Amino acid sequence: MLKNIQEWILVLGIIGVVVLIGNYIGYDILPITALPGMVILILISLAGLVIGKLVPLKIPSIAYIGILGFILTVPNMPGSDQIVKWTADVSLLAIATPILAYAGIGIGRSWADFAKLGWKTIVVGMCVLLGTFLGSAIIAEIVLRFQGII
Amino acid sequence: MTIETQKLWKDWRVHATVFAIVLLSETIGTHEIPLGPGVILLLPMLYAVIIGISLFFTPLVKEKQSKSAESLVFISVTLLIAKFGVQAGPALPLLIEAGPALLLQEIGNLGTIFLALPVAVLLGLKRESIGMTHSIGREPNVALITDKYGFSSPEGRGVMAVYIFGTVFGAIFMGLISGLLATVTPIHPLSFAMATGIGSGSMAAAALGPLVTAFPEMKDQIIAFSGASNLATSVTGLYVSIFIALPLTEKLYGWMTKRKSKNMKSNVGV
Repeated sequence: MLKNIQEWILVLGIIGVVVLIGNYIGYDILPITALPGMVILILISLAGLVIGKLVPLKIPSIAYIGILGFILTVPNMPGSDQIVKWTADVSLLAIATPILAYAGIGIGRSWADFAKLGWKTIVVGMCVLLGTFLGSAIIAEIVLRFQGII
Repeated sequence: MTIETQKLWKDWRVHATVFAIVLLSETIGTHEIPLGPGVILLLPMLYAVIIGISLFFTPLVKEKQSKSAESLVFISVTLLIAKFGVQAGPALPLLIEAGPALLLQEIGNLGTIFLALPVAVLLGLKRESIGMTHSIGREPNVALITDKYGFSSPEGRGVMAVYIFGTVFGAIFMGLISGLLATVTPIHPLSFAMATGIGSGSMAAAALGPLVTAFPEMKDQIIAFSGASNLATSVTGLYVSIFIALPLTEKLYGWMTKRKSKNMKSNVGV
């Protein structure tokens, strides 16, 4: 467990540095400005990973992480304003870029399998993604309009 | 999960490579391709995934880095989810108001069955199509299908094919279509934001990026809705697959193939 925590801290720290620099190049936010927000995000992730390890339920760690971030920032929660203000300086897009860079490097290994897929799989696969995305969007649209939110 | 024994932080090569990719991608910056009334947004994250894939074919990235990178995606996604969380908190009143839409749009994930299953059957695919189209075919779905039908069954082959497709092409595809759909269709960006929770962190990020970039004035709400939807999907997704999506796919497949063979028979008869 301690080994895990050490590993998570080091890895999240490395990724955090990469995000801070991407955040500066792409979105003009100085690393020193975004540092407190980055530290908060890392601590939330770490806490969620630890909870996920400790709680013997089949719930993925990311669920705990999302809920934790959510609870810490609901209106009127002590310190929520500060957390919101700090984390706002870490751009979502700056977080996404390294994730997809890691994903890309990881994907390379699947390339040989990908190249073997037939054109039918490609067509069906695109329909799968499009159907899932558009299906949700259409239902959300209907309900949100019905409620008059949009 | 075998993350604990891998010493991921020590693989400096993979981190240095990612750092270089991020520097390059963010320096290139965001570009737009106008397409009719809409735009396709090219974001740094899109270059990052493509550069990442292509580097696998250079000596820079070896098998070991690629393996580390897979586990590192899981850890780095936690930061994205944390960001989702802290953006969703302040939007609590709005989320409660939009609660019905958030829950009901989960059912929209079944859209794959209604679009992709008929296409698969029309293309002549047999029971593979059940594995292929019952969900977006990420890890939990692969586990579900192989558990139920076996790894080398037609259904198992189907889900593996879509899994591989999604792994390689999913983020790129979502990144390209989400901005385009949001700018050409009359569907509201907030509805698309809710739709990003499809059960894959990297695909969600890729779909969300163009929305945030195209509608900066709604940025906070878009991220909040996306975060809530991702959370909802991560908790409910597998259960929806087990209890609704898979039985429904089976049923529709049976119905469609029966109809198809009937049609063929009547054609022969004429």
